[in-house]
Amino acid sequence: MNNSIVSAAASLGALQQKLDVLADNIANVNTKGYKRKSTVFEDILTNLQPHDKTFELPGRRTPLGFTQGWGARVVGQQIDMTQGAMQQTDSDTDLAIAGNALFEVRSGGTLDSPRAFTRQGAFQLSPTGDGDRMLTTAEGYPVVASSGGADTFVRVPGNYELVVGADGSLTARSPDGNESVALGTLRLVQVNKPELLQAVADNLYGVPSDVNVQDVVANVAASPDQPGGVAIRQGFLEESNVSLGDEMADLVNVQRAYQLSARALSSGDQMSQMAANLRA
Amino acid sequence: MIRGLYTAAAGMIAEQRRHDTVTNNVANLNTPGYKGVNSVNRAFPEMLISLMGSPDDTKGTIGKLNTGVFAEESLINLGQGDLNETGRSQDLALVSDILVNGQAFDGSGKYVDANGNVSYQPQALFTVQNANGERRYTRDGGFRATADGMVVTSDGMRVLGTNGQPIRVEGSWDHVQVTADGRLINKETQQPLAGNPAFLLTEVSDPNQLVREGDGKYRYAGDANGLRQVQPGERVEIKQGYLERSNVDASQSMVDMMSALRAYEANQKMVQYYDRSLDRAVNDVGRI
Repeated sequence: MNNSIVSAAASLGALQQKLDVLADNIANVNTKGYKRKSTVFEDILTNLQPHDKTFELPGRRTPLGFTQGWGARVVGQQIDMTQGAMQQTDSDTDLAIAGNALFEVRSGGTLDSPRAFTRQGAFQLSPTGDGDRMLTTAEGYPVVASSGGADTFVRVPGNYELVVGADGSLTARSPDGNESVALGTLRLVQVNKPELLQAVADNLYGVPSDVNVQDVVANVAASPDQPGGVAIRQGFLEESNVSLGDEMADLVNVQRAYQLSARALSSGDQMSQMAANLRA
Repeated sequence: MIRGLYTAAAGMIAEQRRHDTVTNNVANLNTPGYKGVNSVNRAFPEMLISLMGSPDDTKGTIGKLNTGVFAEESLINLGQGDLNETGRSQDLALVSDILVNGQAFDGSGKYVDANGNVSYQPQALFTVQNANGERRYTRDGGFRATADGMVVTSDGMRVLGTNGQPIRVEGSWDHVQVTADGRLINKETQQPLAGNPAFLLTEVSDPNQLVREGDGKYRYAGDANGLRQVQPGERVEIKQGYLERSNVDASQSMVDMMSALRAYEANQKMVQYYDRSLDRAVNDVGRI
């Protein structure tokens, strides 16, 4: 009956969701490789109250019928994949990507487990128990490389140090610098459809099970020589691409819109009260 | 007596509609491409009242009376919304300011000439296709790509190109540039993409013939002559990396909301006064 209350309540819910996403962004302003998310709004399906022919009166400008909207809703989230700033760390296992690409990891720890992707290059070398060390993310997901056309994990022997070229090539070098072992090339994927990537836990992105992974991402080789090409920087980390100023401006905007909708709700409530108190 | 009671009740309903419309506008302050709506009221048809039982019927006329009001139409304000930079290559904002000879339109796209005739500015919109293959129009240019490369609106309707077919882009959007007139070209080589795709921009000569369907889409209900493709040289421009914000004015909405609420209250009070008068008539007249 009281449409104002329904539309205002719907929009309060939608604004709350936007606020949640803003809070998520602000919380991750210092998370390496974090990509900001935004919410997409749409107005809710409108219904048309039909008018019969007698409503066709002189001076009327619109077709017959009276439309009624029901507020706004959130239709989805978008990941903004723009480049974050590079921060120098001088750590051998800190890698940053310049350009449109993601590192690939395996979420289950084995090569046949589901593929997942990340921009966060704060890797570490975890001991495997047999003297080697494996390149993993901070949470322990092994990083995927390709060696001779096959997917592998990166195993650095004993006390060797890891050297990563701008083209993603991986080499293990002995402490005296005389010996080096080629470990393949870092697997990089280019994101063709960022809207189909799904943010999962631990700063990883996955692809929903009903979507073909090949449609969303494609393997790409680093091309540091080309302008705008993908390049790997060892000893750097990519900062979050959240800009605190933009988020705060959005926050103020959402808060005021929330207040306004709350006013509309209470004003709709007052009208209901007046109708109820007609016969006081 | 009873006549006025119904008039006041009709006023309450009409103000309620106005309040609902304003609330919906406020709810869509953050919806890209949303266009504010005004509810327009109309008085019930006038009737002539005359004195009954008068010996001379010609002298018995009292005058004309309207016995109520109703929310007649929901008028869409298709004025341009502000542009908001997003930097996303699939976000397209339409800037439409189509000139018509001798008419200077105001911010809401209206022009009133010296004789009081009102005319409305033609508007350009993106053309999309719903699930049944029918054309719909939208100003919400926050598009995205599906897994097979189709360009769709945020709720999944396909966006049409100038050839009448849905637009499809192979691979990534990183290298796609949308020109001001809606063509899709390669950012580096400046060559058109395969198939020479371009967005179909439809110009609606009388925007009041657009019926809002929700989800940012409009249906065209006028005659087919009122639609045509935007011609080169017209003041219509696509801006890539921007979204058009909602054109709802928050402070104006607040004022409208309060005035609707108070007008509702005034009508409610009138009903109560009538009720009290009837109370007197029924219970007190003739009391001994």
